[in-house]
Amino acid sequence: MLTVVERALSTTLRASVTPEASAWLAQACAAATNDLTALLDAYARASLKAGRAPLAFTAADLQQLHTAAPGVGFERWTQDDAARALLLMARLGQDGASFADAALACVEQGDAREQQSWLRALPLWPEAPPLLPYAIEACRTNIIPVFESLACENPYPATHFPERNFNQMVLKALFNAIPLARVVGLPSRLNPELTRMARDYAAERSAAGRTVPADIGLACHDSGKEP
Amino acid sequence: MKIFDPHIHMTSRSTDDYEAMAKAGILAIVEPAFWLGQPRTHAGSFIDYFNSLLGWERFRASQFGIRHFCTIGLNPKEANNPKLSDEVLALMPRFLAKDGVVAVGEIGFDDQTDAEEDCLTRQIELAAEFSLPVLIHTPHRDKKRGTLRTIEVVRKVGFPEERVLIDHNNEETLPYVLETKCWAGHTIYPNTKMDEQRMAALVKKYGTDRIIINSAADWGISDPLKVPKTIAVMREQGIGDADIQKIVWDNPVAFFAQSGRLDVADLEQRPAIDRGQTFETNSVLRGDQR
Repeated sequence: MLTVVERALSTTLRASVTPEASAWLAQACAAATNDLTALLDAYARASLKAGRAPLAFTAADLQQLHTAAPGVGFERWTQDDAARALLLMARLGQDGASFADAALACVEQGDAREQQSWLRALPLWPEAPPLLPYAIEACRTNIIPVFESLACENPYPATHFPERNFNQMVLKALFNAIPLARVVGLPSRLNPELTRMARDYAAERSAAGRTVPADIGLACHDSGKEP
Repeated sequence: MKIFDPHIHMTSRSTDDYEAMAKAGILAIVEPAFWLGQPRTHAGSFIDYFNSLLGWERFRASQFGIRHFCTIGLNPKEANNPKLSDEVLALMPRFLAKDGVVAVGEIGFDDQTDAEEDCLTRQIELAAEFSLPVLIHTPHRDKKRGTLRTIEVVRKVGFPEERVLIDHNNEETLPYVLETKCWAGHTIYPNTKMDEQRMAALVKKYGTDRIIINSAADWGISDPLKVPKTIAVMREQGIGDADIQKIVWDNPVAFFAQSGRLDVADLEQRPAIDRGQTFETNSVLRGDQR
């Protein structure tokens, strides 16, 4: 899976940047494999060096990406997202603990844009569970673009989150007027507690004289009925 | 009208806000310890933050004729980092012993996790040890359940309900809080939580006993003048000045006086402003104009 993703990200990114930037990326990926400081430095520099523009994938590449990593919203990825994912992929050859520690170091010292890149790439990593506590923590952010990087167009929460954390994430999406259709795997994770939370939220909005989100039924088990 | 804003995060506000608040009649405020919009990752950051609430911020308020008190606590957002929460709870006793700390807070539930419940419980126990009241935040999301769980925790610890202020109530939660002996706070916000008109309607329906209002102004969309603005709306709605005074002064003063650290007679006098003072050689003046 990762070979396909790595090739598509790498060719698309390299086609969109200067030869100097491309050379920087190759050198940074090589250094990142066994040098944590080099990885952290490159992870931070990725926006400066690789740019911030959306990636222009070919239709064939997108199809391959979606087959290799279903549910991942590559359409929204930017140049620096791709560069950061490639840097972490270069680290994957190392043993498991080293990868998780290095990945966590990148995000814990990251600014909002680095956190976004990190969360977007999260579903790609084979050893997702050690990264779960940080993913849950990331849902507590008040920075909506960071929250959306995990809650939307990202299969990680539906695959890995315990029910309580998944429910809180869906409620927070509702609370922030984020369309629930963007939450990957929501239909497969519906449960009675989430239904109750959505109904209480609708009641609270009504009591305050406010509108109820039109798509709140998507969070309810017996969806189709009014909450 | 004497005004007490019992929940406002002045660290995030400007000197213009302090000037406008004093002009609008605000005499005293409580600044609860809170999070800074993103999680801190080291306990040392809390030491500096608590010290700034007790030091520079209190001094800054005094330069505008406003008395500043604070509450010390680990907020629920940051209670989910187990290493951090253990370290912060361990250093809290040193801060709870200090002058001007009038409660443990703000504590409570956010995502309603087990870690949050554990920190809430342990901090209520600390309040019991220091004979302080507690200021409890209720969650933005799944609020009714969060409020009911909060009441359960208070009862499980056996903490006196009259020393508990449950904050950020709305139409759905207030009836449950009033069934207890806890005090009920309401945060008047521009867009979320509660607004002036709804607050006036709640006062008409439930009366003034144990009812408190605040601005909870912080780094988000909020307004440090929401308490005076709500007074104006309550007057328009025909609520009498004695009732309003009870909500915006008598109740918060009575609640925090349970700390034994408020001089009630002193509170009613606007403190004299001396801008010649400095705090650790730092002044709110720039270029030293007087």
